Amino acid sequence: MNHTLRRLALKGAFVCALASFLVPSLIGSAAAQENVLRVSAIPDEAPTELQRKFAPLGKYLEKETGMKVSFVPVSDYAAVVESLATKKLDLAWLGGFTFVQAKIRTNGTAIPIIQREEDAKFTSKFVTADPNIKSYVDLKGKTFAFGSPSSTSGHLMPRFFLQQAGIAADKDFRNVAFSGAHDATVAFVAAGKADAGVLNASVWDKLVEAKKVDTDKVRVFATTPPYFDYNWTVRGDLDPALVKKLTEAFLKLDSKNPEHAEIMQLQRASKFIPTKRENYDGIEKAAQSAGLLK
Amino acid sequence: MTGVAALRASAMSDPAARGRATSLVLGLVVLWPLLVIAEFKPAAIFEAQNLKTMAGFLAAFLPPETGQEFLVYLGRATLETLAIATAGIVLAFALAMPLALLTTRVLSVAEIGPGPGRRRAQALHYLLRAVLTVLRGIPELVWALVFVRVFGLGPAAGVLALALTYGGMLAKVYAEILESGDTRPARAILEAGGSRLQALLYGLLPGTAQELTSYTVYRWECAVRASVVMGFVGAGGLGQLMDQAMKMLNGGEASTILLTFLALVLAADALSGFLRRQVGEAGTGGRRSGIGSVGVLLGLAGAAAAAISFVYLGIGFGALLTLESLRSIGDFTASFFPPDLSPQWLSRVGYGVIETLAISAVGTLLAVVGGVVLALPASGRYGLAAEQFARFFLNTLRSVPELVWATLTALSVGLGPFAGVLALALHTTGVLGRLFAEALQNAPPQPRDALRDAGAQPAAAFLYGTLPEVAPQWLAYALYRWEMNIRMAAILGFVGAGGLGQLLYFELSLFHYAQACTVIVAMLLLSIAVDAASAGARRRLA
Repeated sequence: MNHTLRRLALKGAFVCALASFLVPSLIGSAAAQENVLRVSAIPDEAPTELQRKFAPLGKYLEKETGMKVSFVPVSDYAAVVESLATKKLDLAWLGGFTFVQAKIRTNGTAIPIIQREEDAKFTSKFVTADPNIKSYVDLKGKTFAFGSPSSTSGHLMPRFFLQQAGIAADKDFRNVAFSGAHDATVAFVAAGKADAGVLNASVWDKLVEAKKVDTDKVRVFATTPPYFDYNWTVRGDLDPALVKKLTEAFLKLDSKNPEHAEIMQLQRASKFIPTKRENYDGIEKAAQSAGLLK
Repeated sequence: MTGVAALRASAMSDPAARGRATSLVLGLVVLWPLLVIAEFKPAAIFEAQNLKTMAGFLAAFLPPETGQEFLVYLGRATLETLAIATAGIVLAFALAMPLALLTTRVLSVAEIGPGPGRRRAQALHYLLRAVLTVLRGIPELVWALVFVRVFGLGPAAGVLALALTYGGMLAKVYAEILESGDTRPARAILEAGGSRLQALLYGLLPGTAQELTSYTVYRWECAVRASVVMGFVGAGGLGQLMDQAMKMLNGGEASTILLTFLALVLAADALSGFLRRQVGEAGTGGRRSGIGSVGVLLGLAGAAAAAISFVYLGIGFGALLTLESLRSIGDFTASFFPPDLSPQWLSRVGYGVIETLAISAVGTLLAVVGGVVLALPASGRYGLAAEQFARFFLNTLRSVPELVWATLTALSVGLGPFAGVLALALHTTGVLGRLFAEALQNAPPQPRDALRDAGAQPAAAFLYGTLPEVAPQWLAYALYRWEMNIRMAAILGFVGAGGLGQLLYFELSLFHYAQACTVIVAMLLLSIAVDAASAGARRRLA
């Protein structure tokens, strides 16, 4: 009796274990075949915030393409790039540098389709709370905060423009920190954890508008020349008909149309314009000369 | 000087003074560079500006965020964390069982005596054991960071990372447990011509099943904690929410997530304790009645939980096994080789190793001091109120994982090694304080009482009556935690706290895989070295 019970239990456990392996793999592979557009974005803001911002745009894209749109939140910039390259994503909101990385990792096939008008002349702001820092040269021997290592406006372009001004980030700063996000950089500078830092102009403006930064204490002492930043990129082997539909859907968005106004406002866009790979050649060169691309 | 005075002077002076002074000086000489490398600047904590930032952030903890939208995210993330831990342990078990079966020496016919295949079998054992060392030597967070790249975003990476690290760990411990019991039945079966599997099922399992189950359940509890932390690198669950809330300095969300996390850890703790007690009872009372009805029910519940976890996470393991994805995994792995062994890079990695060692050593030392200070009241020496308070404080310190402490300490003293030191110190103080207090309570009271009766001051009675009793145990605990902290220090860098982790995170972010590979190899070698050193030290202490 006992032996039969034990044997039964063992068999049962074995079957359960087997089932727990096979069932989800079947379900999983079936789900991947469905008609779903998988979208993500680099985490320059909190995923909850990104998800909230994306919700109306997602509904709009669902209507325009006739596909189910699912948004995948992420906390790692590089993971978005790698997922696009391994075809785990169809459409992604990338920064200039992450686009260049994606282009390289997909052997040049990733296509940037659309960007905000603002992204064609993007800038970064250098901020400090130290009254003695007035220009790039004063930064020698100080502690400095970048955003994420993969950020265009929070790391790559500022590093490049510093280099042009004769400041080598790895040698001339006493300590370099990566705060991870633009608003965190401001918090570090305000608290005196870093003598100076750099962040994207759009986030700086947003923080100033929302009075989240004390402008009597933290001030901008330099602004970079303009460069191309953020875009929406699709993976290269996506159905060209779908790519066309997506591009047109973005171009149709009009801030004067009350139905679109909410989408535009959440995306902080006045207008969407087409973009092309060549726009980001400058970023690629900058990344090479700053030693971030090998 | 008269003979009597000289005698009195030598009686008053400590005969061990010379040796103690030497070791004190030596200790300081060793400690000093460590403090410098770890950028130990305690004054930074108390700078008015830093205190203000910290206070502002902590003040934002109240009230905790309770918006419905956020709570829905939170609920989903909590379920995801539990599912990741459960699915990860199931896969780890599936990986560990065959590996343990193959590496357990007492289950191998070839190990019994000289035979034709002996050499080959032994070579295979060494190879498999080396595989196990690699699997568990690389922290789960690193596996997760790598898998996030290969398998895409979300929980699959976390599950597989847990499966590999914990698979390696379980296999090693299973083999140890199987070899520690009575191995004669297994040998008899093997000698009578039974198979490896038969020897396991009828020779070893009856004696060790209870311990094996208990350890597996304990590891599940650890996996719950670990799966929270893995969210920090984008592998889904609570950690991902926590990482963002901390980075964006959103105190309200951070406090709700932290409270949820604490509740989850306590629940996992309680459930694991309950399960282990059940297993214990089945072992003592119910050996004759086989598994017993409670056992069958629990087993079925466990299997159901595992199945639900896999379905909930919806991981397409089928899709992982297509030719195309196998090729992309192959390409990805190949891009890590050969590792960058240029002298410049090796010297940077070498400095990272030293920094990691310094962070862990200083953090553990601080924790020993903090642990002793809190263990005294926690052991009940200063009354019940002090005891309760100290215990509550220690539990809080211990419940918050090092990575979460690091995000807080980075805010208070800035990014860098010192933030890592403080994070390790805070968490480890919680752990050591509790262990130290237990050692104090278990110490025999006679020597202390004898000294007190002879008129000694309380401090002297403690120093000469109690301390010698508990010191060896305290030292053993501290060494053991230091070993764990070295591993932890290697990954604290992911949140900006210096050491090898920061290098790895930076290089992986920029797709410099050859450089990243060197860092991973350095972490592995460090872990192996620590393993060997601590095994040696413990053997000497024992």
